[in-house]
Amino acid sequence: MKVFLDFCMWFFGGFILFYMLIVIVSYCAMFVIAMLAMRKRYKLDPSEYDDAHIDAFYSKPVSLLVPAYNEEIGVVDTVYSLLNLRYPQTEIIIINDGSTDSTLQTVIEHFRMKPVDKIVRTNIPTKQVKQIYESEIYKNCILVDKENGGKADALNVGINVSQYPYFCSIDGDSILDEKSLLRVMKPIILSDGEVIAAGGNIRIANGAKMQLGSVTETHLPNNHLVIMQIIEYARAFLMGRIALSKYNLVLIISGAFSVFSKEWAVEAGGYSTDIIGEDMELVVNIHRLIRKKKEKKRIEFVPDPVCWTEAPQSLGVLRNQRRRWHQGLFESLWKHKTMTLNPKYGLIGLLSFPYFWLVECLGPLVELGGYIYIVVAFFLGKIYYEVAIILLLLFVIYGVIFSIASILFEAWILNTYPRPRDLLRMILLAFTEIFWYRPLTLFWRCEGLLGFVLRRSDWGNMKRVGIGEKEKSV
Amino acid sequence: MIKLSIPLLLTVCGVLLVVLFLFTIYILVQRKREIRFADVRDIFLQNSAQHWYNYLINDEIFSVVLVPRGRAQVAAIETIFSSYLKNITNEKVEHKIKEFSNLYLKKFYEKDLSSKRWSIRMNALYRIADFQIEALLDTCQQFENTKISEEEYFQLLKIYSIFQPELFIEKIEESSVNYSESEYRRLFVLLEDDVFIRLFEDFNSWTKKIQFAAIDTAAVKRNMQYIDQLKQLVTHEMPEIKIRALKGLYEIGVIDEIDPYVPFVTSDMWEIRLMVAKIFKHVPLNYTYAYLEQLLQDENWWVRSQAAKTIVEKREGIAKLQQFLESSNDLYAIEMAQETIVRKRGSK
Repeated sequence: MKVFLDFCMWFFGGFILFYMLIVIVSYCAMFVIAMLAMRKRYKLDPSEYDDAHIDAFYSKPVSLLVPAYNEEIGVVDTVYSLLNLRYPQTEIIIINDGSTDSTLQTVIEHFRMKPVDKIVRTNIPTKQVKQIYESEIYKNCILVDKENGGKADALNVGINVSQYPYFCSIDGDSILDEKSLLRVMKPIILSDGEVIAAGGNIRIANGAKMQLGSVTETHLPNNHLVIMQIIEYARAFLMGRIALSKYNLVLIISGAFSVFSKEWAVEAGGYSTDIIGEDMELVVNIHRLIRKKKEKKRIEFVPDPVCWTEAPQSLGVLRNQRRRWHQGLFESLWKHKTMTLNPKYGLIGLLSFPYFWLVECLGPLVELGGYIYIVVAFFLGKIYYEVAIILLLLFVIYGVIFSIASILFEAWILNTYPRPRDLLRMILLAFTEIFWYRPLTLFWRCEGLLGFVLRRSDWGNMKRVGIGEKEKSV
Repeated sequence: MIKLSIPLLLTVCGVLLVVLFLFTIYILVQRKREIRFADVRDIFLQNSAQHWYNYLINDEIFSVVLVPRGRAQVAAIETIFSSYLKNITNEKVEHKIKEFSNLYLKKFYEKDLSSKRWSIRMNALYRIADFQIEALLDTCQQFENTKISEEEYFQLLKIYSIFQPELFIEKIEESSVNYSESEYRRLFVLLEDDVFIRLFEDFNSWTKKIQFAAIDTAAVKRNMQYIDQLKQLVTHEMPEIKIRALKGLYEIGVIDEIDPYVPFVTSDMWEIRLMVAKIFKHVPLNYTYAYLEQLLQDENWWVRSQAAKTIVEKREGIAKLQQFLESSNDLYAIEMAQETIVRKRGSK
């Protein structure tokens, strides 16, 4: 028995150590790539570029799709933020996905929506559209009322109704910075259509001051759970998205704010309604299509654009969100498992898929195993102490040091939270990450893996309290 | 091979933490400096805004108070100038800004051009173009001979297009850099009409991207001088050029004859048929209705939709569509005509 236990402890200890080293090395590499890319732009005046593209002559028209299911609190602010966008040609399409609260009524009353007869081209099959409305105040604002069919179905209806060659999906609870659309469209415009989809950088809005759909001031919120998520977003941004985008390896661009070429999205079949992570699914399907058609196209992540979104403030809501995200990730990877290590799909198959499988998807299992290992080693006696302490130190590098580096780098280049007090608070909190936040999120993500096995599904709405300080201080 | 041991990892953690601690101190010091810089800039902005207004708008005498002392004051002046240039179109103001910049800002940007930091050099190039600092043209040409990025070269082309169009055309001809259509448009739109016409006349010698950008720029400039050239291009062998030329003619909006466009009503490409349906917006309905009725029954949704819109926008359009509804048995065309009539009535 003891021999078997010894073997298990050495084997798992060695395996977890090896895994952690691989993850740390790959994160380091991505961090360096991101740093070099971002460092170049330090002190560059962004207004010059923004103004250069403000004219319709240089830009391309975009349809803004806002799927809303029970979003009565956030949807009006979201639409205002879209009306505030500095972009020459847009249409706003709000899709009410059979909400059971007063979302429909709120939008009709607030924007004076009037029913219209409109022929809709069914590029993608969807649930039935009940009625289309047009705003009497804002001519470019349309409301579509449809039967409940899920977020993906709502977005597909939006694509069918849209008239422009590009569409941008925005969550019903998100707020866009006024220049964000200009900036996310930059790679698409500059590449003459070589870039067919682009995703923007998402920020957490809790604690921000807002006025009619615009963020006027950013402060770090008091809720520690939200601060940890802010740190997590900064890490994901610097240790993943930028580097992956540089080599056209992006598999996820956030559904909260992303632009797609309508032609490509329709050809890829639109958003899948039978899967939780519909945003990742569309990106992967487009990558497949690019390979199939053998065209030189790219999907990019843009570090600039700012889309503000509300982060969960309670453990319960955060748990649901993380379970859902992870289940969605696993589902998409599983569905396209044949792409893994398949040279037919180039670097997407050879690098991106293995990375997402090993680091993003199965990582939580191994890491949680690491935490369990440390606890078990403590009870088994000193022969395992060394491995346990080495593991703990790797967790410190992986959890604490990478987080602090991301906070500092973000502060240096983007300066989202300008007050020194806020910066120091984030750094101090990052020291505690490995003791509570990390194990909790790992556990929830493992629950997501289990959810995939048990095939759970839902729309995934979280309880909103409203983002802006004027609505409620968070 | 390095053995993974506790002392080694402790050392790595310790070193990294020290580095991060020093980086934190650096950022905090940097923040303090930035705040000080912003304070000086804001005070200068506040104190000089009225003087600038008096000088630029009210034609008052130039005051030495306006001459910048240090970077923060230059930043304030940049804010003021950018704001005037964006919000007011006034040759006198533009001239005064140009004069002042050539005299007092030149030395700052000259120094910036030799900075090691790419972003600082780019900002300087932006300002040279925005404030028209012609006095730095020679410096820019010398700068071109150093190792510069594609973005910097693009800004240089923009500067040449403003100050020395001849040199600009020369550089475009010999340039090995392949910019996007959107970027070429940004360059061409700044050109004086006579230079642009020369560029447009040499149409066939340019690369495709330059050709596309030239057609689009001609359309946006809405100048009658380009109509003949565009008319010639509608018979070009390349469909993309044909479509863009038709689009350009539609944008300019002056159609003096319909004969050149009639053959396109039966084109194999729906994009061409769509453009013809658009062009017919600028021609009285009695000349075009027969063709538009044909396009209303087109197999393509966009063409049908555009034909219906073109008809309905004319004075007698609704009546014509109603006549069509009574006589036609094309279900798709009827549906389109009905929707267009309803929408037109709804918008009245």
